[in-house]
Amino acid sequence: MSTATVSDLVSQPYKHGFVTDIETEKIAKGLSEDVVRLISSKKDEPEFLLRFRLRAYRQWLQMAEPDWAALGHPRIDYQNIIYYAAPKQQEKKASLDEVDPKLLETFEKLGIPLSEQKRLSNVAVDAVFDSVSIATTYREKLAEHGVIFCSISEAVKDHPELVEKYLGSVVPGNDNYFAALNSAVFSDGSFVFIPKGVECPMELSTYFRINSADTGQFERTLIVAEEGASVSYLEGCTAPMFDTNQLHAAVVELVVLDDASIKYSTVQNWYAGDENGVGGIYNFVTKRGQCRGDRSRISWTQVETGSAITWKYPSCVLQGADSVGEFYSVALTNNYQQADTGTKMIHVGARTRSTIVSKGISAGHSSNSYRGLVQMGAKAIGAKNYSQCDSMLIGDQAAANTYPYIRSQQPDAVVEHEASTCRISADQLFYLQSRGIGFEEAVSMMVSGFCRDVFNQLPMEFAAEADKLLALKLEGSVG
Amino acid sequence: MPALALPKTAAWLAELAGEPLPGRRQEDWRFTDLAPLQAVAAELWSGPDPFSQCSLPGGISRIAPAQAQLLLDQGLQATGSSAAWPVRLNRGASPHFLALRVSGSVEPLQLTFDAAAGQGLLALQLLLVLEPGASLELLLHHGSRAANATSLVTVAQLGSGAKLNLGVLAPGDARASLLSHLAISQAPASELQLTTAVGGWALSRFEPRICQSEGAALSRLRALQLVAGQELADTHSQVQFNGPDGQLDQLHKVVADGAGRSVFNGAVRVPRSAQRTNAAQLSRSLLLSDRARVDTKPELEIVADDVKCAHGATVSRLQQNELFYLQSRGIAADQASRLLLRGYCDEVLRELPAAAASAHPLQLLLRERP
Amino acid sequence: MIRPDAPLLLEIRDLHARVEDQPILKGVNLSVRAGEIHAVMGRNGSGKSTLSKLLAGHPAYSVTGGSVLFRGQDLLELQPEQRARIGVFLGFQYPVEIPGVSNLEFLRVATNARRVERGDEELDTFAFEDLVRERLKLVQMDPAFLERSVNEGFSGGEKKRNEILQMALLEPLVAILDETDSGLDIDALRIVAGGVCQLAGPDNATLLITHYQRLLDLITPDYVHVMAAGRILRTGGKELAVELERSGYDWVDQEVA
Repeated sequence: MSTATVSDLVSQPYKHGFVTDIETEKIAKGLSEDVVRLISSKKDEPEFLLRFRLRAYRQWLQMAEPDWAALGHPRIDYQNIIYYAAPKQQEKKASLDEVDPKLLETFEKLGIPLSEQKRLSNVAVDAVFDSVSIATTYREKLAEHGVIFCSISEAVKDHPELVEKYLGSVVPGNDNYFAALNSAVFSDGSFVFIPKGVECPMELSTYFRINSADTGQFERTLIVAEEGASVSYLEGCTAPMFDTNQLHAAVVELVVLDDASIKYSTVQNWYAGDENGVGGIYNFVTKRGQCRGDRSRISWTQVETGSAITWKYPSCVLQGADSVGEFYSVALTNNYQQADTGTKMIHVGARTRSTIVSKGISAGHSSNSYRGLVQMGAKAIGAKNYSQCDSMLIGDQAAANTYPYIRSQQPDAVVEHEASTCRISADQLFYLQSRGIGFEEAVSMMVSGFCRDVFNQLPMEFAAEADKLLALKLEGSVG
Repeated sequence: MPALALPKTAAWLAELAGEPLPGRRQEDWRFTDLAPLQAVAAELWSGPDPFSQCSLPGGISRIAPAQAQLLLDQGLQATGSSAAWPVRLNRGASPHFLALRVSGSVEPLQLTFDAAAGQGLLALQLLLVLEPGASLELLLHHGSRAANATSLVTVAQLGSGAKLNLGVLAPGDARASLLSHLAISQAPASELQLTTAVGGWALSRFEPRICQSEGAALSRLRALQLVAGQELADTHSQVQFNGPDGQLDQLHKVVADGAGRSVFNGAVRVPRSAQRTNAAQLSRSLLLSDRARVDTKPELEIVADDVKCAHGATVSRLQQNELFYLQSRGIAADQASRLLLRGYCDEVLRELPAAAASAHPLQLLLRERP
Repeated sequence: MIRPDAPLLLEIRDLHARVEDQPILKGVNLSVRAGEIHAVMGRNGSGKSTLSKLLAGHPAYSVTGGSVLFRGQDLLELQPEQRARIGVFLGFQYPVEIPGVSNLEFLRVATNARRVERGDEELDTFAFEDLVRERLKLVQMDPAFLERSVNEGFSGGEKKRNEILQMALLEPLVAILDETDSGLDIDALRIVAGGVCQLAGPDNATLLITHYQRLLDLITPDYVHVMAAGRILRTGGKELAVELERSGYDWVDQEVA
């Protein structure tokens, strides 16, 4: 491309990179059984939860960090992380007026106004600041429908029997290294419970904001939809720019019973590190949904654009007959980012169906890998899977890798997988420009066209956001 | 390491290779159980040198041992094969050796390796150097009728404009094992047709590794795996483009019946220098019983951006509507199945070198099916 | 139509350019006034395609000397999209395919960009669709083309007609058509030529880059320029084109040598 075009593009700084100056309570760095007990006592947790944490911690000590993903990162020093940091405003306030205004301002700056006048009218938001939930909007309205939407810490106090029943039932404490760590030290996250037959009247959203530099972030989210219930949930997250790496190891568990459905969307815009790969979040997430009921459905939709290293495989275990799992993903890597992400669809029940649409965009010197597993168990009679993994390469220094694992034991199950690659060529860009379409808009058009199938799955409000986010992240990468 | 005494054969194999048998923790061996190898008698094959009997047509000459060794090592290095376990095993087992140089167009050649003529581990090394413009059609015919193991390492170098049509027909025995590693380097403008048809072995592992040293070549791979009983067939292929304008057309087909297990891992690597690569890979698996297992993983690693790379994988059973169509024309169900199966397998078998036809490959491979 | 006092739309003076390290244009001089139709003819390698791409701002070509003024404004310092918006249109010889981007959306965004530049209001989706269906008639294209991705799976003739459709929507002041006739059968050629003639008017100008005379049977040029070795060797009227057709380009080579 002409040098005039590229150098004229101002590399826009990550606009969420600010830090909120607020008093935060932290405990000393390092992890030990005492730290786990301390976290549990600070949160005033019941016995069952302390046992859950300790069991997971002891299992974590026996495990080794996985190294099979195509990632290269310097060893994480687990003793050099703070495992608990909370804004001093500890107790969740009864009304938003009592919340520290600096916190409210933070979220407003991020485009998530929480105050009554300004909040989005059709989305209930649980705002989590440094892993502590500080406010949840529309709780009363939701309670009228029997919907419980609150932080996990509150759920543990107000609905301990529900938490005890479902926590760890989808992702057990010993499932993998990062899930074990999370199970031991998780601080907070969202809890959603939709009772029988209820279609949640609003979209629910949790917005995570990391503020402290050297804390690890260990959110835990649990969403349960009883028979015939349904909910659409959106997870958003941002963090300031620091020049050391931060660890984010979250666990999300979804449970759907007969005829229930959960749609879980993520638009992730962590700080990815600067152009030279310094700083940025290490994002290791275990997300799994269990379609326990017949005809139940779980849909994962994600737009990943940030994080220095991403390791996440939202999965569905399709147990119920005729249950459906879906995975729609756009993963963009630029500069020196690395992503190893994909999904696992485990077909257990009969006539289960899964659809995977994965779009990877690799720019700069980044490495973007899709790693998926489709497994047809012996009882998955009449099951069907369709997967499509497409990669868009921008420039010739980024890598796009595809590793789809297919395992089948059931002759009456059908698996179909396709993958292809494409790129943004200088000729195509020039063609659009010669028709009056600006460089950035042209790139954006082509990238959006590529991602169309996935963006169509996002809740409406966020599809436009996703378009803009991608355009922003790709600045300076073409040419 | 636990202090148990390893089975005699496993220890012996480990000594030959200089390394213990690969285990499940290694990604490349995750689904491949090497137990059948250990059922082999811990001795080198006692039969006659399979290479001594072959007569070479005009245009093919033998390469002197010293030079052959050099070329062999070079060939293995070009595809990153030197440290692969089956290659190490092969080297340690003092293999019978044949090194051939081909100039111009020559008559088709066939080599037969029937492990049934002896017992133990039959180790073979085959080096083929095709001069620029040369062309060779070669059929390798493996066989066995007892708990033998065959270890073959084939290294081929195709000069500019050379053409190699290499077919492997390997009907095995439910007690026998076959390890075959192919390291093939292609110069620009060369053409490779590699067709492998495997069936009936307790354990078979094919590792075709192709390197287009400067791109601009054509690699066409066709493979058929038939597994039934308790058999395990494994293909781990790798195609690397080290220059621009290369082409790959790969088709891997599987029929899995009984409690058979099929493993396929097809890696395609397109680094930055390999612009305008056109690579297509298709993996198709038919599951005929509910105890059979298929594990397939196509793999694409791409950095160059001006490329066309696609892969597809399907796993299913024989199509209901196709079966029904044949039945509605008066053909009984099981015969209809056989007809469809034959058509499915034929897509690969008909690409074997002409010499294979007289051996009736499909019948051969389907021998002793339950 | 030649009118000596018509506004000067394009003024190319002593233009030198290269692609990579190869000098291609070695001093091109050309003036185009409103209402005129110019034809630039020459062998492959004469520089005529380079000239057209350079005027549109293709990044692969760099100017090493001379100037280009568009309505008195320095054209060379503008980005390609800016040139398009102020009214410079390049009809490509090989229009590229852009999978995933819908033709309709692409046309709408481009049209609106031009409208905004001219001070007109943007058209919303419905108004635009009405406009485009109207313009489709000019090139006899099926509305179904609008749903497809830009040029994807289009035949040669369809791609060229898509270029003319864009011309009809963008209403450029200077349209440079680079070998628009190449690869077309007689029917497609008639449609394309018909479109060009209908769009040509007293306030705009057309520059036809062509190898063959036959397009000029359908579109009568006011000036014919012969290019060779990166320069315009001779300028004449349409008789010059006829002469070239009859005697070929050999005399041109002799002049250059």
